[in-house]
Amino acid sequence: MIFILNGKETSYTGNPSARLLDVLRDEFRLTGVKCGCKEGECGACSVIMNGLLVNSCMVAMGTVSGCTITTIEGYRETSRYKVLDKAFSSVSAVQCGFCIPGMVLAAECILAKNPHPTEDEIRIGISGNLCRCTGYNAIVNAIAIAAKEGNGIW
Amino acid sequence: MNIGDSVEKKDHAPKMGGAAIYAADYPVEGVLFGKLLHSGKARARIVEIRLPEIQEGYFVVDKNDVPGDNNVNIVKDDTPVFARETVEYIGDPILMVVGPDEKETERILKAIEVVYEELPPVINIRDYDTVFFDYNYGKGDLETAFAEADKVYTEQFETGYQEQAYLETQGMIAEPHPNKITVHGSMQCPYYVKGAVERAMGYTKEQVQIKQDTTGGGFGGKEAFPSILACQVAVAANKAGKPVRVIFDRREDMEFTSKRHPSLCTYKVAIKNGKITAMDIDVLFNGGAYTTLSAVVLQRGIICASGVYKVDNLMVRGRAVKTNLVPSGAYRGFGAPQTFFAVEMILDHIAKDLGVDSLQFKLDNLVQQDDATSTGGMYHFPVPIPQMVEKIDAASDYWVKRKEYAKPQTGRYRRGIGSSIFFHGAGFTGSGERDHIKAVTHLHKFPNGNVEILVSNSDMGQGLKTTFSKIVAHELDLPYDKIIIENPDTDRVPDSGPTVASRSLMTVGELLRRAAIKLREAWVDGEDQIVEERFKEPDFLIPFFLDKFQGDAYPTYAWGVNAIEVEVDTYTGITAVLGAWGCFDVGTPVDLNVVVGQMEGGFLQGIGYASIEQMTADDKGRIRNNSFSDYIIPTSMDVPKLNVIMHVEKYPDGPYGAKGAGELPLVGAPGAYAGALEQALGEPINKVPFSMDDTMKVLQRVRV
Amino acid sequence: MVEYYQPTTLKEALEIRVSKNVVPYAGGTDLMIEGNENTTYLFLNKVCELCRIYEDSGYVHIGATATYEKILSSDIVPQILKESVSQIAAPAIRNLGTMGGNIGNGSAKADTALVCFAVDAKLVLASVNGTRIVNIDEFYLGRKKLDLAENELITEILIPKDNLSNYCYSKVGARNALAISRVSFAGVLILKDGNISNISCAFGAVADTVLRYKDVEKMLIGKTIEEASALKQDFLSEYATRIVPIKGRVSIEYRKAVCLNLLTDFLTKNDI
Repeated sequence: MIFILNGKETSYTGNPSARLLDVLRDEFRLTGVKCGCKEGECGACSVIMNGLLVNSCMVAMGTVSGCTITTIEGYRETSRYKVLDKAFSSVSAVQCGFCIPGMVLAAECILAKNPHPTEDEIRIGISGNLCRCTGYNAIVNAIAIAAKEGNGIW
Repeated sequence: MNIGDSVEKKDHAPKMGGAAIYAADYPVEGVLFGKLLHSGKARARIVEIRLPEIQEGYFVVDKNDVPGDNNVNIVKDDTPVFARETVEYIGDPILMVVGPDEKETERILKAIEVVYEELPPVINIRDYDTVFFDYNYGKGDLETAFAEADKVYTEQFETGYQEQAYLETQGMIAEPHPNKITVHGSMQCPYYVKGAVERAMGYTKEQVQIKQDTTGGGFGGKEAFPSILACQVAVAANKAGKPVRVIFDRREDMEFTSKRHPSLCTYKVAIKNGKITAMDIDVLFNGGAYTTLSAVVLQRGIICASGVYKVDNLMVRGRAVKTNLVPSGAYRGFGAPQTFFAVEMILDHIAKDLGVDSLQFKLDNLVQQDDATSTGGMYHFPVPIPQMVEKIDAASDYWVKRKEYAKPQTGRYRRGIGSSIFFHGAGFTGSGERDHIKAVTHLHKFPNGNVEILVSNSDMGQGLKTTFSKIVAHELDLPYDKIIIENPDTDRVPDSGPTVASRSLMTVGELLRRAAIKLREAWVDGEDQIVEERFKEPDFLIPFFLDKFQGDAYPTYAWGVNAIEVEVDTYTGITAVLGAWGCFDVGTPVDLNVVVGQMEGGFLQGIGYASIEQMTADDKGRIRNNSFSDYIIPTSMDVPKLNVIMHVEKYPDGPYGAKGAGELPLVGAPGAYAGALEQALGEPINKVPFSMDDTMKVLQRVRV
Repeated sequence: MVEYYQPTTLKEALEIRVSKNVVPYAGGTDLMIEGNENTTYLFLNKVCELCRIYEDSGYVHIGATATYEKILSSDIVPQILKESVSQIAAPAIRNLGTMGGNIGNGSAKADTALVCFAVDAKLVLASVNGTRIVNIDEFYLGRKKLDLAENELITEILIPKDNLSNYCYSKVGARNALAISRVSFAGVLILKDGNISNISCAFGAVADTVLRYKDVEKMLIGKTIEEASALKQDFLSEYATRIVPIKGRVSIEYRKAVCLNLLTDFLTKNDI
C-alpha cells in the first residue's frame, strides 16, 4: 500500500487488515496519534485523510492506498498550526494533553471547510473528540480565536 | 505582574504538537508486553490454573513470583499483587502473561483456563455482610432536639458509580537493573508507588526508582491503582529479567479499575421554627472487594455530611462495606459529592414542605465565620456564600426563573432551575499532612541562575508545573523560563506528598513560595545551591483527632454555588441543560486560565455524574458499561452554556491566598442538577444519575 | 493468511465476493470496532460505481459506499435522510461511514435503515449472477438476518424522489453526539387533494428490526385530516398493542412510551 504520509511517499507491506492507528504508532513511530479507546468513540487517534478528519482506529490499512494522510507530527510544521498553537496557549486549553492532537486536527478540518465558524459549528466539529479535563470551553474558545487571528490563512 | 495573569503553560508545547511522551509512547525494542488475566468470577476459590504450552521467552507471573510481600501497600493490607487463594471481584488480577510479541502474549492469555470453585458473591450494597470501616461522631443533644422538633424528615438517597474516564488509560513500565528496579508510567503519586514496589520486591528505599510519565488525566483514578499495576510489572520484570510494559485497553480500564464509591445515605433532619436543629445521618459506601482508600473516602464523606449548615445537634455514622465488585477508590470529591448530594436534596424537599424558597432556606441555615464545623473545629475564615449566590443570580437570573418554573407547567417541554451551596475541605483530612505526609520540597539553583523545582507532585493536566513555576519565579523575581520542573523522579525529588485532596497548590505551592524566599535571601551568584522547606502545620489549627473525629478536619474550605437550568422533553425523557453556572472560591487564582480550566472541567464531570454517566453491575457482578459507547461522558455538544465565575477569599496560609481547588467544582453539580430536574418534573428525586428512563417513569406516573 | 483485495470495478468486486472468503468493507466504522486482524476484507472504497449519488425519474440512487459526508453534501438527497445522517456519531465517523455498511450491518439501531423503512426504499443487490431489487422491509428478516446471499453486495439504495418533504424524524440517544440510538422514529405523510394518500410510521432501535405496520397505516389512508382525527385514538391504541420493544440500555416501558409519544407528536403536527 503506497500513500502519502505527512507529505512523504510511504510504502506499507504489512497486513492490510491492520489498523492505521497501530501502524502509525508502531511502525512509523508517530506516537502523537493517541489511542484512547480503539472503537471510534473518542477521537484521540484522529488524523486527516484526503482532507477529512477520520479516526485512525477505524481505518484498515487496505483502504489507504493512494491516500494522503496527515498526523499531528506533519501538521505541526505548518503555519496554520502556529496560529492554533498561539490560540490554544492563550487560553491554556491544553490540560492533560491526551485529546489535544485530535482536537488540533479537528480544528484544522473545521476551519479548512469554514474559516469563520459559529460557536455551534465549532462544537459540532469537535463533537467526536472527547475531553475529560477541560469541559470543552477553552478548546472552543481557542478555535474561535484562531479563526479570528488567522487572518485569511484558512 | 499579577500572580493570576495567565502565562503559556510549561507543558503546552510538547502536548500541543504531539511530542509529549506518555507511557504507551515509549519505544518497545527489548521490552516485553504484559497482559493481565483478570478473574471472570465475582467470588471464587481458584482451584487450578491450566496453562497451555508456553514457548521460550514467554512467562507466566503470579503470586509465587512475588519476591517480597504479596500485598499492595494502600492504607491496609488486603489488596494482593496477584490473587491469593480466592478472587473477590470480576477483574481481580490472577496472573500476568509476558512476552516479546503482543499478539502471542494475548493468544497465550486466552488459552489459559482457570478452574474456579464459585462462592456466593455479594453484589448489592444492601446485602453486605462485611463492614470494612465503621465510624461515627457527633455533638449536642440529638434526642432532645428530635423530641422538640416541629417536624422530623427522613429520606434515603442513592448515588451510583462514576468512572474517571481519563483519556489515557492506566499504563506502567518496569525496568529491572541489578539489585534495583525502575518503574515509570501514568500516576499521581510517585512515592505511594515507590512504597508499594519496595514492599512487593522486598527492596530497600535505595533500590526502587519511580518516575512519573506525562499523565493523561487522573482525577483520583491514578491515586492508588497505579501502585497495584506497578507492583505487578515490577515482579514480572524481575522474573523475566527484562523490561515489562502493561498498557490497559479501554475496556479493561473501565471494567477493572477503581471508581467512585456508590452510596446509600439516610438523613433524618429536625426542623424547629423553620430552622435546622438536628441531623441524624447514616452513610453507607460501597467499598467493593478490597479496602484500598475506603477509610479515607468515608472519613471525608461523613465529615461533610451536614453540608454548609449550622447543625448544633449532629450524629453521623458512616460505614464502608464490602461487595464483590471492583474496589472503589478516589475520584475528585472523594466522598463529598455523595453526601453533599443528599444534604442538598433533603433540604430542598424540606423547604418545599415548609412552603419556603429552598435556596433562601439554605442561606438562613448557613454557617458563618467562627461557627463550629461538624467536627468541633472552626470556620476560621469568611464564608462568602451569600455574595457568591448574588453573583450566580446576576449571571443566571436564578430567583426569577425559580419562581417562574414553580408555576404549573403543561406542554411538551418543562423547565426547572436548581441550585446548591457547598464546600470542599482544602487539603488532606485531619492531621495527615503533619503526621503522615510530612512534605519536603527542594529548590536547586544552578550556577547559571536557573532554578529547578524538586517535588513529587504530578502535573496530570491541572497545571502544577505552571503554577509552581510561577510562584518560584515570582518570589525570585526571575523570568518564568528560568524555572525548571520535570516530571518527578524519586531518585531526584523529595517526598512532597501525593497529588490528591486538592493539596498540591495550597500546601506544596506554599512550601515552594517559602523555599523561594529562603533562596532569594541566601542567593549567591554563580553558586550551586539547594534549599529545603518542610511542612509546618498552621498555628491556628484546632488539632484533629481521627479516633473521635474532633477538631479542624481541614485548615480552610473552598466554597461553591451552582445553578443549573434544565428543560425536559416529556415525549422522550431527555433533559437538556440550558445553562450551568458555577461560582467558585478557591482563594487567589495562581493562574486564572489554569484555575478556570479546572473549574469548567470539574463542573462538567459533576453534571455528567448526575445525568448521563451510568454504570451498573449485573447480578453476576460484571460491569456492563465498559466502553465509551456505553459509559456516556459529555461531549462538546452536551453542555454548551457552562459558565464559571470566580470569587476570591484569600487564605493567608496558601500561596498569595490560594487554597485547594481541584475537587471543589464537581461537588455541587449533582444537587443543582437534581434540584432543577425536580422542579421541571414536579416530583422529588432521591438518586443520581437520574436517567431518561427514570424521568420517563416519573412522567408516566404523573400523567396517570 | 490475510489477503489484500481492493478492486476498482464492481465486476471485479463481485468476482472476489463469490470466490473468496471475504468480508465486504465499505467505511469500516462498524467492522473496525472488533477489527479482527485475521479477517480478509474486500475493500470497496475504490469501486467508483458504488459511491455515486445520482437521480433518475423516480429515485435518488445512493451508492452503497458513498460516505455520509458525501450524502450530506449532495444537492439531491432528500432532507429526511440528511437529517438522519447528520446526527450519526460525529464528523470523523461521518467522513468514513456509509449507508451500505449501516444497512448491511443488519442492526435495528441503524439510523439510515429507519429512514429507508419510512420512505419505502429499495436496495439494489448485485452478484456475478446479476442484479435484483429488494424492498427494504423484505430485506430485513429478523435480528441481524438479511436477505443477502453470500455472493451478493449491496450496490445502491434507492430513495423515492418525491413526496418526502412532510416528514418527522426523531433520534433519541444517550447524549447529543456520538450516540447510538435508543429509540428513533421517522414518519412521512402525503396529502393529495385533502386526502391522506400515504402515511408511514417507522420505529427504530426498539426491536430486532425496524418496525413498520402498513396494515395499521391503512386506517388513515384515503381519509381527510378531520376523518383521521376521529380515528386518532384507535390508531394509537393499535400501535400500543403492536409495538413490543426489547430491553436494551433502556427499559421496555421507556421505549414503548417514547415510541407512542413521537407517533402522537407526528400526528399532532399534521393537525390530526
